[in-house]
Amino acid sequence: MAQSLDFEFKHESNCKRAVLLFHGMTGSPFEMKKMGKALYDADFDVYCYCLPGHGTSPINIKNVKWEDWYSDSTLHYRTLSSKYEEVYLGGLCMGAVLALAIAAEYREVRGIISLSTTLFLDGWTIPWYNFLMPIGVHTILRYYYSFPEREPYGLKNEVLRKKIAALQKRNTEALDNYPMSCIYELLKLSKYAQKNMFKVQAPVLLMHAKEDDLTSPKSAEFVYKNIGSNIRKYIQLEDSYHLVVMDNERDFVFQTSIDFLNGLSSYGPKIEKLPPVEDDIFTESAGL
Amino acid sequence: MSNVLKIIQTLPASLVGIIVTNILLIIGFIIGKLVMYKAENAIKFFAYFSVFMCAFFVAYFVSIIWFSLSNLYLGNAIYAAIFPVFLFLPFITGHFATYEKVHFYTNIQILTLIISLLLALSFI
Repeated sequence: MAQSLDFEFKHESNCKRAVLLFHGMTGSPFEMKKMGKALYDADFDVYCYCLPGHGTSPINIKNVKWEDWYSDSTLHYRTLSSKYEEVYLGGLCMGAVLALAIAAEYREVRGIISLSTTLFLDGWTIPWYNFLMPIGVHTILRYYYSFPEREPYGLKNEVLRKKIAALQKRNTEALDNYPMSCIYELLKLSKYAQKNMFKVQAPVLLMHAKEDDLTSPKSAEFVYKNIGSNIRKYIQLEDSYHLVVMDNERDFVFQTSIDFLNGLSSYGPKIEKLPPVEDDIFTESAGL
Repeated sequence: MSNVLKIIQTLPASLVGIIVTNILLIIGFIIGKLVMYKAENAIKFFAYFSVFMCAFFVAYFVSIIWFSLSNLYLGNAIYAAIFPVFLFLPFITGHFATYEKVHFYTNIQILTLIISLLLALSFI
């Protein structure tokens, strides 16, 4: 079943640039499909694969380690880097953390789109008893606890919210809960990424919703302040929650990503090259 | 029954805390183990279950620290040194645990709790 959720949008002509997208924790390539299509229309070949344990049943996700996600993703990256002259990475939530972790290891990554980067679980839907989480994640209890997905399901758009709630009941495109064991692995991946953030030299575009329900902008700010790259851009979204690739500002997210990647690419339309960042004033707000 | 109550009243509160939280954790883990696969989709049940178990763990850890510190203050170095071992065991078990062997590691967890309970009872 996982295979059917993967997508590869390839041009017939010999495209020189590709984007490898990573979906979020307990999600699937389904959530990245619209973004993939937008990038494809902008002359990028786009790939997105289901991460190990995802896209099947809640039980499978409990059996995977963060190293499985990482090794599977690097394998896809290496395959693409042997085929394309320019390979960009993009990710949502945990996918963004994966993209940053890979870029820390592979310096030849040309650019990163980091959406709703989840280094810390401190959004406003995180339950009040979250202070007990260290005990939950570090003991056997992590295999018992699942954090139930609840309103607003990462979406500010109420129409979409109902559709996503229905999809989550099927537990394939997205799960209706976050198993604590999965959170445990995410936190370990996050720790690894934080430790290696200074090694990331690729230009990075960060987009994060001001009212992200799962992870506050603190995660994006951490990346912005600690990343080794001297080309970085941080945009705060005003009218979205966590799933920025599906929510109200998705078109803005897609277009900004395309402009950013075109600004880095040698093959896209001629766009003014991005200047390196000298201080922290490069942060923008979508202000839609 | 009244004799049991009299004995409990003579015990330090920290030791009573260790015994009570131990019993609650053992019962909790046995229930969790029994219903885990049967009620795999009962996410809300397991969410509340785990929150209570975490809270019991906190109470258990606080009781152990309290008991050890009061014994240290009274000069009972051996008593003070024994229980802190049980502060680390749940985390050590958790470190090695995998979903595939969750029942095995839950049994290990229950076993360590039983040992700690027996040890606590031996102080009576």
